Amino acid sequence: MTPDLPMPDPPPPPTPAPLPAPATAPGDGGPGGRGGVADAEPRQRLHPLSPVLHGAKSLVVVIAGLSWSTLSRVGFGWFALMAALLALGATVLAVVSWYNTGYHVVGRELRVHEGLLWRRTRAIPLERLQAVEVVRPLLAQLTGLAELRLEVVGGAKTEAPLAYLGVAEAGVLRRRLLALAGPAPAPGPQPAPDDVAPAVPPPPGRALHAVSNRDLLVSQLLTPQAFLLPFGVAFVVAQFVSEGSYSFIAVASTITAMAGVLLQPVRRVLDDWNFRLARDEGTLRVRNGLLETRAQTVPLSRVQTVGVTWPLLWRAKGWLRLRLEVAGYSAAEGDDRNRPDRLLPVGDHPTGEAIVAEVLPGVRLGALATTLPPTRARWLRPLSRRAVGAGLDERVFAARSGLLTRQLTVVPYARIQSVRVTQGPAQRRLRLATVHADTAGGAGAAAPDRDLAEAWWLAAELTARAHAARRAG
Amino acid sequence: MTGEPVGCPPPPPTGAPAGPLEPWPETVRWQSVSTDLIRVELLRLAGLLGVVLVGLAVGWVMSGHRLFGVAVGAVVLVGAVRVVTIVRAVHAWGYAEREDDLLVRHGLLVRRLSVVPYSRMQFVDVSAGPLERAFNLATVQLHTAAAASDARVPGLRPAEASRLRDRLTALGETRTEPL
Repeated sequence: MTPDLPMPDPPPPPTPAPLPAPATAPGDGGPGGRGGVADAEPRQRLHPLSPVLHGAKSLVVVIAGLSWSTLSRVGFGWFALMAALLALGATVLAVVSWYNTGYHVVGRELRVHEGLLWRRTRAIPLERLQAVEVVRPLLAQLTGLAELRLEVVGGAKTEAPLAYLGVAEAGVLRRRLLALAGPAPAPGPQPAPDDVAPAVPPPPGRALHAVSNRDLLVSQLLTPQAFLLPFGVAFVVAQFVSEGSYSFIAVASTITAMAGVLLQPVRRVLDDWNFRLARDEGTLRVRNGLLETRAQTVPLSRVQTVGVTWPLLWRAKGWLRLRLEVAGYSAAEGDDRNRPDRLLPVGDHPTGEAIVAEVLPGVRLGALATTLPPTRARWLRPLSRRAVGAGLDERVFAARSGLLTRQLTVVPYARIQSVRVTQGPAQRRLRLATVHADTAGGAGAAAPDRDLAEAWWLAAELTARAHAARRAG
Repeated sequence: MTGEPVGCPPPPPTGAPAGPLEPWPETVRWQSVSTDLIRVELLRLAGLLGVVLVGLAVGWVMSGHRLFGVAVGAVVLVGAVRVVTIVRAVHAWGYAEREDDLLVRHGLLVRRLSVVPYSRMQFVDVSAGPLERAFNLATVQLHTAAAASDARVPGLRPAEASRLRDRLTALGETRTEPL
């Protein structure tokens, strides 16, 4: 797909570890070094501060679990004691698991050993690596640590989150893994950018775009949650005033509920703060986050789908949001914060067009023509017939959907895994059918309610074009 | 490289397709699955209905309530309808091997057709449950990297199943491309 991609450098010989042995971590992890392979590099431990961080993280969970009502029932002293005890227990467990966790690179595999009673060794084949992410939660930033997350095809969730490594170590390991992963070229000439890590260092490579924090704030104020919150607050306050009673639990619970409603927009603001997008040879680099910074690297050849969303309340501004899908994420994964699908949290049309052209060369967002289903489809979609559509571009299949929140899914022909045609009973009466293009990540694209003859033609065309694109690419 | 939109030109009037599940009649030669699959499915249905009916009958005898009789009638009626649909659904299953892809069609109420290129195949499953084995049948399932792809062909003779599996793996090996 990316013709300008230089051939990947041959992977560095796996034997001598080019990693500078971190001064803090013991060189050989695991009692006895169970590796066995003679030329394997010694096992590395995670950073010795990691159990402390895990313990601190569990403290938050413990406090949330004990909840407000427990606090009011047992009093502050006992509450603090309970929380401290539970967190201490968690920390002890974290120390034990840290002692038994190790990783090393063997050939083109990353091996992670873990577990005390149930020992587990995971071998992660690096040629199936889809994306690498360096995540730094607030506490990790204060202590100079980072978590390395790998996304691998076929994994239902993020494989092998290595939590935590020193920042320099994480940067070196990431570059090494990406170099071994194949299509990502080894970043030879560029100076090591991650060794000195200020809060958000400029991403290496050619900067593509930076999202202004003001736009981000405004965009999240223009979400239904933020829009409707004042009404909710007014309602609750009116109730309190009319009943004339305040209790600690009622007030605290209300605040918690409000926080819950606002959680998503606030999280988006925090997550996408300082959003920087850069391109480095064949990879896309994304950096974002305020309290928790993430630096994510996606080889462009691994992009399966690009999604464009125009939320209802953003239309006045003409803004859109871009998402990308890589293989390896099941669509059902609950926590979408950890999906490395951010491409542009908010931006205007020219920006979106420029970024799409960068990610999918030769695709112009504005020029993607889609056609509507036939008029008789209005029996099935009385309101949304004009909102759905599909079109074949030179290199991509584009499908439009959504009446209020308009969406456009762009699937490169070369990424289509299979083509399906389905026809429900109502569609059969109207001689309509839906054509799906399945991709390895995300939900793929669907052209709903096409005329039957056109659906067959579309399916044949998609199959043929996917075939031709695979041959060419 | 300008993205000259190719767009959706009006589909060439190739004439009405032969049937809703049979596109491209000139290039595709459909193969149907073994009719023994009907028996397998009917036996499965009979097993399920048997358990439900015994349960209902016990309830009827114990309580003597009229409602149980009505339920038995309803279950028998649903069973009869299922028998008809099973027979028709098995006849609706079909698969076709083309040069570059495998076509699988199935479904009566919701009709589905999958086109899976051999080069996208990740692995092939051949399975046969006890009932299927009793009738000398097997199921071949093709997996791609996309979870939504569904290319499952039940009711194949073991010889045909292994022939299909071997052909698919052979074709897949020569053509597999990375994601």
